[in-house]
Amino acid sequence: MSTDTKFVHLAWQREEKMLENVRYPMGSDATGNLSRLFGVYDEETGLALRGTFIISPEGKLLNSEVNFYNLGRNIDELMRKFKANLHLAKNTNKVCPSKWKDEGDKTLTPSAKLVGKVYEALK
Amino acid sequence: MEEVCCCLKVGQDVPDFSIETFEASKGDFGEISLETQKADRKWTILFFYPADFTFV
Repeated sequence: MSTDTKFVHLAWQREEKMLENVRYPMGSDATGNLSRLFGVYDEETGLALRGTFIISPEGKLLNSEVNFYNLGRNIDELMRKFKANLHLAKNTNKVCPSKWKDEGDKTLTPSAKLVGKVYEALK
Repeated sequence: MEEVCCCLKVGQDVPDFSIETFEASKGDFGEISLETQKADRKWTILFFYPADFTFV
């Protein structure tokens, strides 16, 4: 998603070999309205900052990450968050700790018993 | 403190939106709307970047 038009998306995807395997839809936010809604529109340049947002099937915004122009995003961290969201959608009484990476890793079940005992629960 | 940001926050419902797309998988133009994504029970990842033909 950028403030380019769909025509420029087409031209870039066809020209740049790095993009030859792109399968996701490339969205055009030429008005900047969607970028403004998510708080990533830079009024001075007319460009969008590097924002990543995960929205649930119910339409709820669950994650938000924004980098300045000069720092690319890490796809492993995006996938970690996405997998965690899937896991948490199915296991609504659980929470995923910061080191959770994939299915099978330890989760926590918040309760009075767990207070002050996170270290032991994660051992 | 004065409220300076009126944008969405994590935990809020995203209002329906619709955008024009280039669908590289079909080599054609298309459209995506959050309403359709929700009706299809799909997750949505929005990935903003500054400009086509740039570098990172």
